[in-house]
Amino acid sequence: MSRRPLEGLRILDFTHVLAGAFATRVLGDMGADVVKVNSADRAVGHNNLDSPFFMMWNRNKRALALDMKHPDARELCLRLVEQADVVIDNFAVGVLDRWGIGYADGSARNPRVTYVQMSGMGEGGPWSGFVTFAPTIHALCGITHLTGVPGREDIGAGTSYNDHQAGLHGAFAILAALEARERTGRGQHVDLSQFEVGVNFLGPSLLDLFGNGRAARPTGNALPYDVAAPHDVYPCRPQGEGVAGERWLALACLTDAQWSRLREAMGDPGWARDPAFDTAVGRVGAKARIDAAIAGWTRGRDAYETMMLLQSAGVPAGVVQDGVDLVEHDAQLRHAGFLSPVDDPDPELGPTWVDRLPLHFEKTPCDQYLRPRRVGEDNASVLRDWLGIDEAGVLAGEADGPLR
Amino acid sequence: MTQGALHGMRVVDLSDERGIFGAKLLGDFGADVVRPEPPEGDPLRRRGPHLGGDGASLWYAFFATSRRFLTIDPGRDDDRARLQQLVERAEVLLTCPGTFAIDLVDLEAARAANPGLVHVDVSSFGDSGPWRDFLAPDLVAGALGGNVCITGARDTTPLKWFGELNFMVSGIYAAIAALAGRRFVRKGGEGQRVSVSVHECLVSCLEHVLMFAWYGERMGRGRVLPRQGGTHWSMAYTVAPARNGAIMITPTPHIDAQLAWLIEEDAHGDLLDPKYGAPENQPLLIARVMQLMREWVATQDAEALFHRAQARHSPYGWVQPIERLPENPQLEARGWWSALQVDGQTLRAPGTPFALPDTPAAPRDSTPLSGDELLAELGWERTR
Repeated sequence: MSRRPLEGLRILDFTHVLAGAFATRVLGDMGADVVKVNSADRAVGHNNLDSPFFMMWNRNKRALALDMKHPDARELCLRLVEQADVVIDNFAVGVLDRWGIGYADGSARNPRVTYVQMSGMGEGGPWSGFVTFAPTIHALCGITHLTGVPGREDIGAGTSYNDHQAGLHGAFAILAALEARERTGRGQHVDLSQFEVGVNFLGPSLLDLFGNGRAARPTGNALPYDVAAPHDVYPCRPQGEGVAGERWLALACLTDAQWSRLREAMGDPGWARDPAFDTAVGRVGAKARIDAAIAGWTRGRDAYETMMLLQSAGVPAGVVQDGVDLVEHDAQLRHAGFLSPVDDPDPELGPTWVDRLPLHFEKTPCDQYLRPRRVGEDNASVLRDWLGIDEAGVLAGEADGPLR
Repeated sequence: MTQGALHGMRVVDLSDERGIFGAKLLGDFGADVVRPEPPEGDPLRRRGPHLGGDGASLWYAFFATSRRFLTIDPGRDDDRARLQQLVERAEVLLTCPGTFAIDLVDLEAARAANPGLVHVDVSSFGDSGPWRDFLAPDLVAGALGGNVCITGARDTTPLKWFGELNFMVSGIYAAIAALAGRRFVRKGGEGQRVSVSVHECLVSCLEHVLMFAWYGERMGRGRVLPRQGGTHWSMAYTVAPARNGAIMITPTPHIDAQLAWLIEEDAHGDLLDPKYGAPENQPLLIARVMQLMREWVATQDAEALFHRAQARHSPYGWVQPIERLPENPQLEARGWWSALQVDGQTLRAPGTPFALPDTPAAPRDSTPLSGDELLAELGWERTR
């Protein structure tokens, strides 16, 4: 079996829901030994294996049960911290401190440990105690205001984009802190504000605001700053009733040459020969007319066939794919084996699927996917590997100690 | 002087939009990132917005922070040799297919001379497969990647995310790949190539979309959920118009606390009807609560209500227009902003997305770098 790039890295994982759990998912996929701490009391709702939402973010982690209310939990936890490279949480600011296992206590026992605190607003500041989920962050950081159509403020991104991104930033932060540790010999306390992660995504628009005094507004599917047309989604032949049956094709002509190829692929219709359309500026000026004419061409056509026709002609085009498309019709994902079942599904939960790590390491392939685990399922192996505790010790801890 | 976490890491950045955010992150956290460009200038310098309408690209100013720009003339032997030497001395090479100067580098020779090199290649669809050569700018990438279908309202078309959000996903994945690859080298492993598919990156960040396609029947709501504007798939978060703007409202995480608040505000309608107390009527309760909240919020000032909610530990979010961010007290208090020089002007600019307090860093102004300067600095021979 080949090695994976992060084997040997030990992560004590107090994350829950999506953002924090996604950070450790990525690191676990690359071979880090991620020990997810949970407890019978906390394993409810989306923090429980019975929830598909939990299953999505918690493969490749071992499960340790730890009841932090038990008087022995703190010391056991600090012994684990002594063995850890990283401790991570996405609670509100200060929860680990209140449990007596925060950075001050942890680094006193292990100066090389890095703590990553992925709170909503970061440590310090008047909003530090605010409670946030991804929709809160999207609203506050400007993503909701800007993702939409002119005149509307109530649309925003259709997924918890910032949760995934905060997780990816958390993973990057951990690897950067480990790189610094090679030089300094010490870990550090990473303070990640999910709000700041989100605001940063508006970088060019913020510079436009500061440099030109211009406040960005939603532009639908048009590019906010660059001149390109056609650049939108167009209806294709429906495959069912209502919204669920709609089929759309995205088209993005970024150059005049791509427009020429589109015109040829459509059969060089008379309306498209208007000389005003030879330049991007001319096409943007006639956006409504061009969009209506293209929609007239796409409306009766099959979305995938039209995509293939246009892509083979050198026109950027893509079907607006939904989840079933990705799972069943996406020829590229199928080719890559990107979506696949785990080998050892939980016998009670049945089939479990994974979207694999999108990083293909040539020499250290990351192709092992441990199914999401039940609370405490790995108590014995974790405590043996990290602390050398024998089976009797684990059984005692599970019977009336903190291992619950 | 404290140095950034990645101080000393040498990176050659031959990326385009698909990977440039990754190169920015590596540079902003301290790596020495050299970005070669042709004599006529980097094509990405044409991306809008521009300072003063026709000045420097502000898009580029953001994405190309913390770089040293090295002009490479493909027609000059010494420039090509410098580029090759640069790659042979780098820890990380970041590329995207088709970008400037890739065809000038002999990658096999570079890897032979530099076995620890981590080469991260960010392409639209990976190294092989039926769609490998598809053209996928942002809108097309988002459409195929599954996020356009669930963004937008019932009465709009499907919509793309604003700005460059798709390629910021592939960008940070690329940065993660670079550091993971470097860690493997530090632990005694070899350098290697890492292929990053934008398409796969986007599909990995779809929250509920794959979840319903796989488990939706078990969850009783079908395999494909429709786009529904600012309402979250769980139906427990929605964006509602308020008196001065809009606000994201939710009765989570404690619906009883929200009920109590509605009662205090005399906005609870019929929620005290016992039918809503039955466990099997929980979805009915949530739907009715959300309806009453929307009616109540319509009479409230968005910003003021946001603060009142947060004082009660309710995770409401005021839909802030971008022009409110410069005065945001949280960003101000945390000293988040940085500054960049653009066309001789000092502009306020975003800081780093997280803080590494013992190795602090901030986006730095990029600088030009001459080929001779580079060779002298690294102690290289002018010719080999």
